[in-house]
Amino acid sequence: MNPDSRIERLGAAAVEAARALAELWMVYVSTVSGIVRGFTRRRGGRGRPKGEILRQLYAIGNKSLIFIVVTLGFIGMVMTYEACLQLSRVTGDYSQIGSQYIRLIVTDFGPTLTALMLATRVGAGIAAEIGSMKVTEQIDALRMSGVLPIDYLIVPRFLASVVMTLMLSTLGGAVMYTAGGLTAQYSFGVNPNLFFDLSLLEFHHFGIMVVKAIAYGAAIPVVAGFCGLRARGSSEGVGWATTAAVIGSSFAVIMLDFIISATALFLWGGDL
Amino acid sequence: MIGERALSGVGAGAIRIAEEVGGILVLTYQVLRALVPPRIDWRELVKNLYKMGNKSVPIVVLTAFFAGGLMTLQTGPFVKKLGATSLAGWGAGYAVLREIGPILIALMFSGRVGANNTAELATMTVTEQLDGLRALAIDPIRFLVVPRVIAMIVMLLALTVIGDMVALFGASVVGRAMLDIDWSTMYYSFSENLRPYDFLHGVYKSIAFGGAIAVSSCYFGVTVRGGAVGVGKAVNAAVVAAAVSIMLLDFFITYSTG
Amino acid sequence: MSAYIEFKDVKKSFSGKPVLRGMSLAIDKGEVMFIIGTSGVGKSVTIKHLIGLLQIDEGEIWFDGTRVDTLPERSMAPLRKRIGMVFQSSTLFDSMTLAENVALPLRKHGGMRHHAAIEEAKQRLAQVYMAEYADRYPAELSDGMRKRAAIARTLALKPDVVLFDEPTTGLDPVSARRVDRLIRELAKTLGMTAVVVSHDPPSIFGIADRVAFIYKGIVHVVATPAELRASSDEVVQQFINGKSSGPMETPGF
Repeated sequence: MNPDSRIERLGAAAVEAARALAELWMVYVSTVSGIVRGFTRRRGGRGRPKGEILRQLYAIGNKSLIFIVVTLGFIGMVMTYEACLQLSRVTGDYSQIGSQYIRLIVTDFGPTLTALMLATRVGAGIAAEIGSMKVTEQIDALRMSGVLPIDYLIVPRFLASVVMTLMLSTLGGAVMYTAGGLTAQYSFGVNPNLFFDLSLLEFHHFGIMVVKAIAYGAAIPVVAGFCGLRARGSSEGVGWATTAAVIGSSFAVIMLDFIISATALFLWGGDL
Repeated sequence: MIGERALSGVGAGAIRIAEEVGGILVLTYQVLRALVPPRIDWRELVKNLYKMGNKSVPIVVLTAFFAGGLMTLQTGPFVKKLGATSLAGWGAGYAVLREIGPILIALMFSGRVGANNTAELATMTVTEQLDGLRALAIDPIRFLVVPRVIAMIVMLLALTVIGDMVALFGASVVGRAMLDIDWSTMYYSFSENLRPYDFLHGVYKSIAFGGAIAVSSCYFGVTVRGGAVGVGKAVNAAVVAAAVSIMLLDFFITYSTG
Repeated sequence: MSAYIEFKDVKKSFSGKPVLRGMSLAIDKGEVMFIIGTSGVGKSVTIKHLIGLLQIDEGEIWFDGTRVDTLPERSMAPLRKRIGMVFQSSTLFDSMTLAENVALPLRKHGGMRHHAAIEEAKQRLAQVYMAEYADRYPAELSDGMRKRAAIARTLALKPDVVLFDEPTTGLDPVSARRVDRLIRELAKTLGMTAVVVSHDPPSIFGIADRVAFIYKGIVHVVATPAELRASSDEVVQQFINGKSSGPMETPGF
């Protein structure tokens, strides 16, 4: 293989990636402008069916509830177990663990793990739905009847996802903390009063949590919807769209986590 | 009245989940039986190894790098405040090797390779290619499923090992760049505090995760019903099942091996 | 003398709806038997039962003196090597070239190694006039070509019987006639028994030895094409002349 063609292929791939990112950004912008449009128009905007947002809230929130509780509960138990195990090896002093744990949950693990789980469940679901509509030409049919697919499909899911991610993150964090406390008590004899210690929490911690949850909640439907709209072919295309959505939204969550955490570090330094 | 409907909904959901779990166990049994005696289609195995590895290395490496960095961001300031920078590597490294590494890499793998695999198998089922294999007296389990299961387990194992290394590297980079912790301090802290057993613990997990992802991915692929819509649903189900299994297995392995 | 393939009073329902209601048919060795009828009447279902892709509810199916509807999945392999099937959607494997597709059964059952199998596969493709496309992928080819390649794959193990599920449906007239001719040629030169499901009159009257007309879940009539044409049965006449009105009941329309 001659080096020129390899460079060519690399260049072509980079261009393609840039184009995809640009399109993704456009979807995001269109979604936000769709929301603004909806608010400024008197009667709730044409094309968005009444109660669609509520339906999406139900689809995302209700159906993911048990899933989130179960997965975050288990991971909460595991993390506490691991941390206690390590501490028992090093210092044997469990006084800090509860307060540190809740800080980590609020600023990071709560929203991030919830969002990662939602990226698989909700992201795949949105991409599968929209992708199937695309390959069965329902999206074109929508356009024909004068409705913007973004307004009709993505905006309701966007709003629902932001709200639900925030709520589920809070719930998930609470579940993690509780599960952790139970684990610490039963496996290491840590006194619950010692563990459930919220004294280290400050206002900016919650700010970080809200920012992350909103960012994740926004990213997942935009990425997933984008992948769905790009589906091509028939069943293969839908499969590809769903796969790409899960990967894309998971990765977006991790990147956003990193960016927001790093920013927080700069803003609050070691006091985090 | 709403309560009744909700209860029956939960009941129906529970039955459905039980059905799926049962089906997955049946498939696991079929796969295991096909391995004794091991008559595997080597071409399919190699083809899948190549395909899965190729697809997932970039995303796993990237994810691992950032995950490692994240760990340092979280534990670093705390450690610095205590002045125990020599423990910085311990904080990040321990979490990475035992938990974050295997879990995140498994989740990414499930999304990239698992979902893709389900989509492929589902498309093949929908287009009657699976019936076509049966009509040629070729057992789809032996020919399609077993090579993929083996390839996924092997691949996830390799990726976890690589990913662990990259994550530790990412942790060091972030430590150096944002917390002013020396490379040598990090390295020293890794080698002092992390035991080989911690590494192996993560490896055992990745094998278990790999098996769970592989079997559920194949199961939902071959039991798909309906056309394009069915394929999307199958991928969705596979990814969710894999995520839940990963969390459950993580819990059981952590508790039983300590 | 009992027939080569025999369906005895076969009944099959899907989700409570009866499709086959006591279908009986005897097929002789070496003949080209067409099974015809309107869409959804149970034609494809019938032949899928023969190789165990579906299970019947009641009745018996016999092949070459052995009862086959009661065979467990594990014992199906020898049967499937003697009875091949060409599906309606061709079902070539997308991830393999044509040669690799045809070579697959040769590798698995013919005990051949990869390269030998590929060479043999190319010869089989030549039999269906597709040798020059041996290294192409199914997605790159037209429906007619894929159909011919699928036939080559099914013939790889030299089965005694080949089932064709609507081989000409969806093909342009020229390709359709080519496929017909191929089926006839292979049946006569290889001494193969062919069971063809079809609702394509040119095929039916072009290459069939006998025709079984399924209507309302049973075999309404079994005859040669000439006898069918001359039949005074109104339902038969409506079908073969393709009339939209007549005594025929077509549920759902």
